[in-house]
Order: sequence, then structure tokens, then C-alpha cells
Amino acid sequence: MFNKLIKEKDFIIFDGAMGTQLQAKGLKTGECPEVLSITHPEIVRDIHKSYIDAGSMVVYSNTFGANSYKLAESGYTVEEVVRASVKVAKEATAGTGALAALDIGPIGQLMEPTGSMSFDQAYEIYKEVILAGADADLIVFETMTDLAELKAGVLAAKENSSKPIVCTMTFEENMRTFTGCSVSSMALTLEGLGVDAMGVNCSLGPVQLRGVVEELTKWTTLPIIVKPNAGLPDPATGKYDLPPEEFATDMVNGIVPLGATILGGCCGTTPEYIKQLSLALKNAKPYKRSTVVPSAVCSPSRTVVINQPRIIGERINPTGKKLFKEALRNNNLDYILTQGIEQINAGAEILDVNVGLPEIDEEQMMIRAIKGLQGVVDVPLQIDSTIPQVLESALRVYSGKPIVNSVNGEEKSLETVLPLVKKYGAAVVGLTLDKDGIPKTAEGRFAIAEKIVKRANALGIKNSDIYIDCLTLTASAEQEGVLETLNALERVKKELGVKTVLGVSNISFGLPNRELVTSTFLTMALQKGLDLPIINPNIDAMTGAVRAYRLLANIDKNSVEFIQAYNNVDTKKPQSEKKEISLNYAIENGLKAEGAQVTEKLLESHSPMDIINDYLIPTLDKAGADFETGKIFLPQLIQSATVAQACFDVIKKKLISEDSAPVSKGKIVLATVKGDVHDIGKNIVKVLLENYGYTVIDLGKDVDYEEVVKATVDNNVKLVGLSALMTTTLKSMEETIALLRKNCDCTVMVGGAVLTPDYAEKIGADYYSKDAKESVDIAKKVLG
Amino acid sequence: MGVKKGKADANTLAMLPQCEQLVIKNSIPRYRYGIFDIEKTGKGIQVLNTNLLLTGKDIERHLSGCYGIVLMCATLSGNIDNLIRTAQLQDMSKAIVINSLSSVAIEQVCNKAEKEIYSTLDSSCYKTWRYSPGYGDLPIDIQKEILTILDAPRKIGLCTADSMTLTPIKSVTAIIGLSHTPVAPAKRGCLCCNLRNTCQYRKVGNHCVQ
Repeated sequence: MFNKLIKEKDFIIFDGAMGTQLQAKGLKTGECPEVLSITHPEIVRDIHKSYIDAGSMVVYSNTFGANSYKLAESGYTVEEVVRASVKVAKEATAGTGALAALDIGPIGQLMEPTGSMSFDQAYEIYKEVILAGADADLIVFETMTDLAELKAGVLAAKENSSKPIVCTMTFEENMRTFTGCSVSSMALTLEGLGVDAMGVNCSLGPVQLRGVVEELTKWTTLPIIVKPNAGLPDPATGKYDLPPEEFATDMVNGIVPLGATILGGCCGTTPEYIKQLSLALKNAKPYKRSTVVPSAVCSPSRTVVINQPRIIGERINPTGKKLFKEALRNNNLDYILTQGIEQINAGAEILDVNVGLPEIDEEQMMIRAIKGLQGVVDVPLQIDSTIPQVLESALRVYSGKPIVNSVNGEEKSLETVLPLVKKYGAAVVGLTLDKDGIPKTAEGRFAIAEKIVKRANALGIKNSDIYIDCLTLTASAEQEGVLETLNALERVKKELGVKTVLGVSNISFGLPNRELVTSTFLTMALQKGLDLPIINPNIDAMTGAVRAYRLLANIDKNSVEFIQAYNNVDTKKPQSEKKEISLNYAIENGLKAEGAQVTEKLLESHSPMDIINDYLIPTLDKAGADFETGKIFLPQLIQSATVAQACFDVIKKKLISEDSAPVSKGKIVLATVKGDVHDIGKNIVKVLLENYGYTVIDLGKDVDYEEVVKATVDNNVKLVGLSALMTTTLKSMEETIALLRKNCDCTVMVGGAVLTPDYAEKIGADYYSKDAKESVDIAKKVLG
Repeated sequence: MGVKKGKADANTLAMLPQCEQLVIKNSIPRYRYGIFDIEKTGKGIQVLNTNLLLTGKDIERHLSGCYGIVLMCATLSGNIDNLIRTAQLQDMSKAIVINSLSSVAIEQVCNKAEKEIYSTLDSSCYKTWRYSPGYGDLPIDIQKEILTILDAPRKIGLCTADSMTLTPIKSVTAIIGLSHTPVAPAKRGCLCCNLRNTCQYRKVGNHCVQ
């Protein structure tokens, strides 16, 4: 019915505010408005009716906050409130031709990692609302600020209902939502997920929202909905400043000419506003848009348009990397996240994420890696796995529009991967190989590319979301194949009208001076039209080749980016300082690179354990003692620890390259307890403990009691450290300790701002640690 | 930052302005407030026209003689959470400095908000200092209700987690008493602070509040 309205009407008029109206009828500030649908249905029905009388063709049910979190203390279930509200809305629309929308707002808690609500929890909460509101004519998500939460909602709607879906997010004047989501990211993600209309509501008046709407028109071909506030509120009284006539005029003169066709109001608007809007729209003509959305992928806060060569960083991949494999086996997420940050600092614009290792649970690791990376980097991600289930799990939790790496010409791959790409609105890498392997000739690879494009198109995947990889073969083994790859790439780009992607590092395998060969091949590929080079951005020659190409191809206008990247860099390698410095000096003065160098040298004449016991620990002990007496501050102590960490990394690398067992003085489990998201204290403790040679199993923050027990038992750990910042989470600490006592034989140390030695004893801890330094003393006592 | 008596070294001093810039650049300060009448009942102090009941002896003492209160909340936004999270992976000592500076910044935002609030009040009105849920015996759980009353999740993106901690991390909720007569104590002190037994400043005779 809604889609019929879209086809037939020039404009569709939605309703105005519900909350403002309910407060006018005596609702207390902060009281749950949704319950009125049960206690006073006539009030709610009258409001709907007055909007319909004013010209609304769609009214929102009184269910904005009707979810299990917000209704927890209302005395009613979600089903009761949602059913009653939708019923009231349907009664009001009956016989009028107007439609009743199931209105859904944000849940009221922040998503991970800033908050503690997980994607799955959000999905279940929304699913409950959607099932209860099955009688509505369409589903509306409004006032959303977190793209991940909205995605959970849209998936819950798509998978549990066949009703049309309309989404509006709330943007500030800086064109971002509270969580930093951009207009383009919203549009790319929602259109990919297959919603029916999208737009903006709340926060600002029609005049201030103009910029946001104009931006949105560039990024979607779907109908655009705009529901602004009645101007801006007075901070003291909360009254909005725009009268109904002016609101209507601003909408018709400012918003309609941009191409928005679904219009209504938000905070401060009343039936009178909708009446004026309806009157003003009678003489308005809709503006026909002819938007062509560019090829692009995004995270919530950054959109990368594939209109020039863009660097995909390849380093998050265990292939051929011993340290990476070890990190995966140890569940060491920080290692992966650091690899991500490092590549972005070097110039990566998209990160490939591959965490496949036969002996680990790739699906769980991929979910953790995607969530973790999205918490610390803002570039879009390329989800890289050969297992469809891993791809799907990652696609669900990814916030934004990612790339799927990859599909190939094999029937099984086409059948399993492409539907996922379509369902989750991703872009996809198509490898030009099939069951017979990689064709030798450009023609053979072109044929597979053509097949992939046809099959993708048939599912509704557009050419702008298909990136074909013509596959690099090693020049030392198949020299004649190098040009075949490049010729195939050129043809695919020109004749199929899709984008191209290519991993180039393989080209130089087995040859001397690999950097030279690889960067030359990269430049040749760029000249043939390569859009997405997959490279190691940490190698300056590679990133530099892309930057130089952009300059020479007149893409980097006035060489702005190139100069910015290299202006302050002395391209000649600095002469290494001749001055000898000691490891102690490096650690005390926070000299990370020097510390690592000295360690490398020491390793020639000392065993790893000797370096740790004779050099690292005494120096850290001194820093710890200085910290205790107030000679140095916490940042200095941690600076010393960071240098020690660099020294440890050198030792670790050497041991791994020799396949020796890693040095460890014992394992310690660390966790910030269930319900607590304040983990910086725990992380400081971790840095220090690691630098004293302990292996830390870091379970992160907001950790379930059972998870602490499981990690302790599974790894046969003798010391567990728990942190909590808030008085409310001390209870969790107590529960965790109780469960540990029941299941394991371990020592427990606790710390956190509100803890005292007495309280620590009371909740059953063995040790109270007042700071990071003391946790090391405790570890020494317990583990030696 | 663990400051007791010593002086910061050159590295730490050099980090301060750099981290300050990062905090300023990444903060998007937002606040909300509302002014309410209150009424003392047998169960506690009822905030009128809402369902909020303030319980405990400490808040009763804090608001003694007050006719009303300001409920306020403020946040630096989730950008700061991201900044601290990322800094911890790159340079933990920098993360500590950023964390500390952000705590200072949110107090400054509250000070600014207070000034704005006071400019709307009658100049003869007396104000108490900002009292936050969790101080003394005032339950921290009321943060959710305060945020709901101020429509904070929707208007400034400030929410509580299940444990009633505020998210984003650098956020504050507070209650300021309003009175027609002078109020005492006019200043915040250590005695009502939950950290008084473990506070590093207090141990060496310092105060965190001027």
C-alpha cells in the first residue's frame, strides 16, 4: 500500500510530533508515553485522527520507545504495548485511506564498543517489536543515530516481516549523527539493505536541515523523507521558534526543490503544522531527481569513493606471518587492531581483513576483528574469507557498506556468495578463476569476469559494486602471464564497465629486489586502469607509487596530497646515531626505537631470559619505585613500559623465528567485570605485567562471569586480575570471584577507583592492588 | 596521572599540549538541563511533575532549604571514547594523558553549562554545588531516570548502560539545589566523595576541587 502511495502521489504527507501532543494532554516529564495506548487509548486515537484530518497520509503508532529496555519498569510487556498502539493507529486510519506505520526509535542504550549493547541484543529487541507490530502497514525507524543499531533493526524487519521499511536518522548541523555517522554512509548502507525510503528527522528546523537533505540527494535514488522540528528550541523553556505557516513555507521553498517527496514534522510540530504543510503542498510541484550514486564503500563515518586508485591494505592476513598466526591462536585482538592502525597511518584507505587459520574458530575471530577494528579505525573494511558462514556473520555485524572478498567463477561460489552480497548490500571482489583454475590467457579471464558480472547483475548487484580481480601470477615462474593479467584488467574495465582490484605483491616472489619489481608492476597496472591495488602500505615504495600515479594522472590536483605526504619527510635514510646508549637509558627516557635496537644487539651475546631478568626488570623496578615515591608520574612509568614492550617484541620475534618456546613467567587472566566499560586501568596493568614477562590473557571489558572462569580453567591460570570502576559493578566483581572460587584454584587480585582493601577482602579477593605497580608486586609473589 | 610531589619530565610535558589539542578536536560537548520544583516527602525528595524520587540522607542534607533543583547532564561525545581506545593501542602513556585531560574537559563543560543555567535564573537565587548520583548514599541508579527526564538519549546521545554507568564514558549527570536563602555547604568537599579512602591527592594533603 505504501509503495502504491509512492507511485501515485506527488507528495506523501506524514504526521507530526506525538510526544509534544501527549505532554500537552498531561503526560509527566520522563513518563513512558507508550503506555497511554493501553491506559488512555482515546487520547492517542484523537491525536492520530487530528493528524489525518490535517492531511497526514501516514501516521506513526505510539511505539517510539516501546521496546523491552524502555518498558522494563512500565508493568506492561512489549507485545501488549505495541499491539495496543498499532490497534489504536489502525482504528484511527480505518476508512480514511491513511496508513498506520509501526514507529520504532532507538533502544535507549549505546551499542558496543562505547556502550555495552551487542548487535545480536539489538536485533532481538527489535525483532520482538516487529513481530508484535505485524498489523501495521509499514515499518518506520526514526531518530536513529547509530548506523549499527539501525542495521540491526532493518535486518530484524527484513527477516521477520515483508512490510515496506522507511528509515530516518538524526543529523546535527555538522552533517553527522551523535555517533559520527555521515549522510553518505547512511545512504549507501540503507540502500544496500533494501529499504523503501530514507531521510532525516528531528534535531533541526527545515532551514538548518537543508544542507543535510541536499547531501542525501547525491547518495540515494530512493524516495527521500524529511521530518524536521518546528525550528530550534529555547534551551530554558524547550519551546520551538517556528510558527506553522513559516514551517510550511520553509518546507515547500527549501526542502521540496531538493527532491524530497515524503514530508512531515518532528518535535514541536502539531496538527496545525501538518495542515499548513498540506495546504502549501497543493500548489507545489515535485522535483524529479536524476541521481547517479557513485561506486563507493563506507564505514559509518568515512565514505571511500572508487573514482581514483584507492589503497587496500593487505596486512591483516596470517598467510606467511608467524607472529600473526600466534596472535590468532592466543586470541590477541590488540595485535590485529594495531596492524590496522599502522596501515592507515601509512596510507591505506580500505583494510582487507583475513583471520583464517585452520585451528581457530574463524567465524568468532572474524566477528571480534570486525567489531574491534570498527572501534578504532574509520576506514571501510574488506571481509576476506573462503567460508560463506564467516562472510555472512561478518556482514551482519559490519556497520556500513563493506567489500566481500571474494566470489569466483565456480558455480558453488556464485550460488553462495552473491546472494549474501545482495542481501547485505556489499560490494564484491570477483576472482577470474573457476574449477579449472586460473585461465592462462586474458580472454579466458575476461570470460570468467563476464560470467561473474552477469550473475551478479541478475541478482540486482550493480556494476558499480563489482570489483574484478584478474589475478597476479608470479613473474619468476610465469613470466609470460604478467601481461595477460594486465590485458585482462584493461578489457574488463573498458568492456564490462566494472571496477578492478588486484593484489600485486605476488608478482615479485622469488626475485631479488622485490620492491622494485612490485612497484613497477603496480604502476603498470595503474596505467591499465587498476582501481583498487591491494598492497602492503607500510612499504613506502608501494604507497608512493600510488601517490605518484595520482599526481601524474592529474587526479591529485595541484599535488596537494602528494606534498602533504612527503613535504616533511627526509627521503634519505637518517644516519644512525653513533652514540652508544644503554638499555636502561632507553627505557628511562622513553626511547622506543633505540630500546629495540639495543635489545637486538644484546641478543647476539645474551639469552632472552638474561635480558629480561638482568636488564628489563631491574630498570622497570626502578621506574616503579620512582613512581611509588612520586618522583615520576604514571605517563612516565608507562612510557618506560612501552619501551620495554618494544624490547620484548624483538625478543619474541627472534624466538618465533627460531621456533623456540616463548618466554613467560606465567599466565594471568585480566578482565574488567560484567557491566563495566571503564577498562583503561586494566589496560595499564596489562602493559606493565607483560613487560615483566607475564603472559596476559586479556578478556577485555564487560566480561561475563563464566568467561573469566572458562579462560582461567582452559589455560590453567593461577592468577586472575579483575577491575571495576563503578560502585554498581563491584557486585559483578563479587559474583565473578564467587564463581572462580567454585570452579578453580587460583589467586584473585582486584583493583579500581572505588575499591578499598577492606572491601576487596569482603568480596573474597586475595589481594587489593592500589595501582599497576602493585599488581606487578602481587604477580611476583604469586607466580614468581 | 599519579601526580604526588614530583615534577613531570620533558616527555610528559611535551605530551600535554599535543593531547590537549586532540581532546579539543575530538570533543563535541553537549548538555541538557531542566529546572524543577521539589517537595520533601516521607520517602525522600520528590521532583515535581516527574517520577523521580531522590533518596538518602546526603541528598537531603545537600538540598536542605532548597525550593527546587536543576537537573543537568553533559557529555563530550563518543568521539572521545574512540580517541582513548585508539590511543591505548598506539601509546598507552598518551592514552593516560588523554583520559585525564578528558575528565577535566567534561568538568569544564559542566561549568560552562552552569553559567548558562544561572543566567536564566533570578539573580537573588542561591545555588548548591553540583551533586551527582553515586555521591554519598544517593543511588547511582537514578541516572537513567534523570537522562529520560532530560530526553538525553535522544537529544544529546547520552545513555546509561545496564550497570548504570554513563555512555559515552566522559559524561556527567548532576543535581544543583536552588534556594531563596544562602545554602551550606557551598563547596564540594572530600567527605561526600566515594573515593575519599583511596584518593591519591587526599593522601598527600591535596584537593581535586578548588
